[in-house]
Amino acid sequence: MARFESLFRETTSGLRRNGLVAFAAISTTFVALLLFGLALLVSRQVSLMIEATTGNVEVAVYLTDPVNPDTVETLTTKLTDLPVVANVEYETKEEACARFKELFANQKALVDNVDCDALPASLRVKLDDPENYEQVAAVLDGQPGVNRIVDQSRFLDRLFAITGVFRVGVLMVSIVMLVSSAVLIANTVRMGLFARRKEIGIMKLVGATNWRIRFPFIIEGLVESLIGAAAAILFLFGMKVYFINPLYGEIEFVPWVTNGDVIVIIPWLVAAGAIVAVLASLVGMRRFLDV
Amino acid sequence: MITLQHVTKTFKNGTTALDDVSVEIDKGEFVFIVGASGSGKSTFIRLLLKEEEATKGDIYVAGKHLAKLTTWKVPHLRRNIGTVFQDFKLLQDKNVFENVSFALEVIGKPKHVIDQRVPEILEYVGLSDKLNNFPDELSGGEQQRVSIARACVNRPLVLLADEPTGNLDPSTSVDIMRLLDKVNRIGTTVVMATHDQAIVDAMRRRVIELDRGAVVRDQARGVYS
Repeated sequence: MARFESLFRETTSGLRRNGLVAFAAISTTFVALLLFGLALLVSRQVSLMIEATTGNVEVAVYLTDPVNPDTVETLTTKLTDLPVVANVEYETKEEACARFKELFANQKALVDNVDCDALPASLRVKLDDPENYEQVAAVLDGQPGVNRIVDQSRFLDRLFAITGVFRVGVLMVSIVMLVSSAVLIANTVRMGLFARRKEIGIMKLVGATNWRIRFPFIIEGLVESLIGAAAAILFLFGMKVYFINPLYGEIEFVPWVTNGDVIVIIPWLVAAGAIVAVLASLVGMRRFLDV
Repeated sequence: MITLQHVTKTFKNGTTALDDVSVEIDKGEFVFIVGASGSGKSTFIRLLLKEEEATKGDIYVAGKHLAKLTTWKVPHLRRNIGTVFQDFKLLQDKNVFENVSFALEVIGKPKHVIDQRVPEILEYVGLSDKLNNFPDELSGGEQQRVSIARACVNRPLVLLADEPTGNLDPSTSVDIMRLLDKVNRIGTTVVMATHDQAIVDAMRRRVIELDRGAVVRDQARGVYS
């Protein structure tokens, strides 16, 4: 027990001594991880919207009701014979209904009010290159049983272009912030080493191992970054509750990120914070601790 | 206990601190290393702790060949060596008890061992009534006693003392020497670097004299010069 007590004391006294720098390290970590989490959530939101609007398929071929199994087979063969087609899947009305319900699971009113019979069966086509849409359209145009062909790739392209810029931008800023938080953490660790250089000298002299000497400093960096991570996670939840929750009822037919989506990114934020902190602490201690 | 074979230490700037030194110190000996400032006394001590590496030659301490000792094993070597310095190296924000217990804590000794050994060693050095005092409330002699207690609390095989009386007046120095002698009598090998002539002459122990890095005299029951 004595070892844990003394380790704990060293860590907390380190945090107290460097209060201001520790605060700077914590707050940059907070901002960095907040942006990182934001980027992850935006990605999630975008993929939800893509899933909702396109079903992740470049070309949707909606079939007329009622569906004739022979028609499905003929059309599928025609499509698979095209060299530009990568993959064709048949989605029945029931499957379309199930997907719809899952997608809008958090919008009960919507699910309850939509009659599954209104959702058409479709052939969902993936292309090697979305540019080749015209070839698919040419083959299917006028075929019996085909109701409507929708080229979703153009919509996807536009969505990707807009959100991609945003995502990359946020991600870049968050990386820059993570680097500066690493520098600040390294700095608090270095200041701690300097303040305790006499203590460390004695520790080396009496035969403390390098890891025993380093440990409190790594923990100090880790604690700083985890406080920042915790704040970022709380803030993200807050943002989700205040900005996204009101949209649940307002904008229909758009699935929004859920609490579950926020929970899923927690390990990523914690891991990013922890890795940055440990690396920063080790960098901060480099050369200071040669035997 | 300590063996140096043809040890030479040359620093990067070209100065030679030790020049072909061969010394054998047995278990339980009390040895003075004497010589003018810059004669290599401190380098001698630092080599034994592996704070510096010998440029040439072999050093054995407590059965370990220092050149072959990996970095991560150095702490275990140092647990067998107590060290005492001219400037005491006490932590000002810790009291006497904590200064001594710190040495055991950081090598992972359990609390019951600490609670037993620290009061024991502080009694041994005559500081039982000062456990809760801070270093700035102690005299120089008392501070050096604390540092000797810290050096000995882990029961080292070797005690290295680098000018331990350098900051003390003659009568306090005599007290410290009595204590080191007491530590030596329980079997600890003591190596003390000093240029305190009166003390060396009074103790009449083995004297190794260094001059510009070379051993110029190695005399049992010797005097300073």
